[in-house]
Formats: sequence, C-alpha cells, structure tokens
Amino acid sequence: MVETVLRKRIEILADSPLVRRVTAAIDAVGITGWTILPVSAGKGREGLWHEEHVTGTDKALVLTVASLDKAAALADALAPILTTHGLLLTMWDVEVIRGNRF
Amino acid sequence: MESAALSTFTSPVILFFVLGMLAAAVRSELSIPEPFAKAMSIYLMIAIGLKGGVAVAKSGLGIEMISAMVAGAVLSFAIPFYVSALLRRIGRLDPLNAGAVAAHYGSVSVVTYVTAIEILGAQALPVAGYMVAVLAVMETPAILSGLLLARKGMASDAGSDAGGHARDDLLREVFLNASVVLLIGSFIIGAIAGPDGFADVQPLFDTGFKGVLCLFLLDMGLLAARRLRESRSITWRLALLAVGFPLLNGTLGVLVGAGIGLETGSVAALGVLCASASYIAVPAAMRMALPQADAGIYLAMSLSITFPFNILFGISLITWLARALAGS
Repeated sequence: MVETVLRKRIEILADSPLVRRVTAAIDAVGITGWTILPVSAGKGREGLWHEEHVTGTDKALVLTVASLDKAAALADALAPILTTHGLLLTMWDVEVIRGNRF
Repeated sequence: MESAALSTFTSPVILFFVLGMLAAAVRSELSIPEPFAKAMSIYLMIAIGLKGGVAVAKSGLGIEMISAMVAGAVLSFAIPFYVSALLRRIGRLDPLNAGAVAAHYGSVSVVTYVTAIEILGAQALPVAGYMVAVLAVMETPAILSGLLLARKGMASDAGSDAGGHARDDLLREVFLNASVVLLIGSFIIGAIAGPDGFADVQPLFDTGFKGVLCLFLLDMGLLAARRLRESRSITWRLALLAVGFPLLNGTLGVLVGAGIGLETGSVAALGVLCASASYIAVPAAMRMALPQADAGIYLAMSLSITFPFNILFGISLITWLARALAGS
C-alpha cells in the first residue's frame, strides 16, 4: 500500500480583488503551491452574493495543502485581516501521497 | 425636450435595459452568462476607445481637448469632497463608507457614457472623439480623493495595513485597471490607425456596436434590479442622495463644459460623465483599499439607483440643460 502522510488542506474564500493578497501570503510562508477555484454564488453575514465579473465583486476559493507548521504560519498571517477583509478560512487534516512536496 | 425624451424611451438600447430590470423584478430566471457579460464590456470599451481615437485622428489635437481633460480630472478629484460631506450629513454614513461611496460618484460609468453617446447621436448632437480620453482620465482621481477622505476620517488604522504587496496591488488597480488600459490603449490605437486603418475592423466594432450594447444593457438591467432587491443597507436618505447626486454633479459638469467652450454634444457628455457613478473600476479598488466599507451600500447606490436613473432620465435632463446653456 502507498504510504500517506498527514497534512493540512486550507481553503480561503476571498473577493476576487483580494485573491492576489492571499496568494502572496501563501507564498510568503513558504507554501509552494496553490489553486484558485471559481465560485458562482453564496450567502453570508452581508447577504447574498453572485458571480459578477463586470463589477469585480465576485469571489474565488484559494486552495492549498501544507504542513502543520506552514498552515499555522499562514493562519497567523491572515488572521488579522479575516474580519476586515471578509475572508473565510477553513482547514482540516488530509492524507497525501508524496508528503515531502507539501 | 418632449420628443427627445420620447426618442429615449423608444430606443432599443433603453428598452432592453428596462426589460432586464422588469425580468429581475418579477424574479425571472433570465441571466446572461458571466464570461459573456465580461467579454461584452471589453468589446464596448475597445469600440468606444477606437472610435474616439479615429475621430481625434481626423480632427487633430486641440486646446479644447486639453482643457476638457484637465476639467474632467479636476471634477473627478473634487466631486467626492462635497459628495462625502452630503453622505455624512444627510445620508448619516460614517466617514469610511462616505469616502468609499464618494469615490464611486467622482469616477465614471463607461456604459452610461456609451448610452449617452447613442442618445446624443440620435438627436444630432455629436460628441467630440477626445471625450473618450476625458472618460479615461476621470476614472482615477476620484479613487484617490475617496481614499483620502475615508482614511482621514477613520478612527483607527485597522484594515489600512497596506503592506508592500497590498500597496502594489492597489496602485496597479488604481492606475492600470482594465477600464483605463482598454480605453487609453484603444484610443491610441484608433488615433494611430486613423480612418483608413479603422475601416478594416469597422464591421466588428461599429456595425455590431448597438446590438452588443442592447445585450449588455439587458444584463445590466438584470444586475441592477437584483442587487437592489437583495440590498439590506439602503435607507431612504441614501436612495434620495443616489438620485440627487447625478442631478447635482451633472449640472456642475454642464456648467464647466459650457464655461470652457465645448460644443453642445461634448458639454452634455461631460455632464453625463459627472452625473454617472462607477461600478466597474472603483468597487474593485475599494475592496482592496477599504475592505471594511460596505459594498452593499456603494454598489446599490451606484449600480441599482444612479445608473438606472441616468439611463432612463438623467441623460435626457442633462442633454436638455446642455442645449439650454450651450445652444444647439
């Protein structure tokens, strides 16, 4: 059986204009990769939102996988702006193959 | 005035906008795919930039163009100051949200301008090609004054933690946002290519222009009405201001345009630019620079109230005022 190791999978929901800020924070803590996923609509504390490319108020999901210490560093880096910038950060344990890559 | 207003309400461009608003009001499932809407906005900006550049290639640069651009930049920077004061006094907004909303009213709406050009053209009031450059120039100064106002009034510095990346992103968004790059870029291309060069691409950017504008305004009607329906932050005071600002700013634009000696069509165009509120370039900049500001307020005001008001009534009123002041 292939050996797996435990890592953190982190998802950050952010307004599209702020995505670059999030990926810069991921890069800064030494996480080597991330993926941006489009999202179409949702509802939060400020009500409904939709994919609106024209007004630039659409959102995107930034996905990354990292070791525990790097995930904690990323959470620390983003924690001060989670509320002010309306970000949603979640993380949970996942098993990955080739753990040395994360 | 009566026949001009009537021609506005029989224009397919306006009627498609009304259709979009009605469809959203009755909760129709009609929707335009987002990538297609984005592509249409790019097409419209390129088309208007190209046509403006070609017109300048024909007429040449002049003192009128320089004075219109300076006037546009000054108006764009100045308007947010009194708009912010009114938003705080009458709208009862805090300084942060007042600054963010004011930036939208100092900046401009490309689609309102494009619609105005169509309406003015139908009334035999041609607009000088260089007004596209004025449009592009007016996108940015308001963002700067809006940020100044918001940050000056903020009690704490929370959220204004513009580190290196954040500041770079903000500067890029303010000065090199897609609207500015497309408008200025295609304006220069049109000026270089001239009428002969434009003839090759005319079928795409001229013949199809009105049809695409109809489709785009259908989408904008849907968007405006849906956002208004879902808005939870708009008070009657803010709604009143969202109608009052275009009248006030439009009158100021017409007075300045007539004062610097522009032709009647261009006076009306400057009035429309001042009356319009941004909902493309400025929201993105505000999300970056003032993320604590309530997007529900500034988008509902600019997109859901001021934009429909201008499309349905504001352009006609400003055109009437421009005719009265600058003659026809």
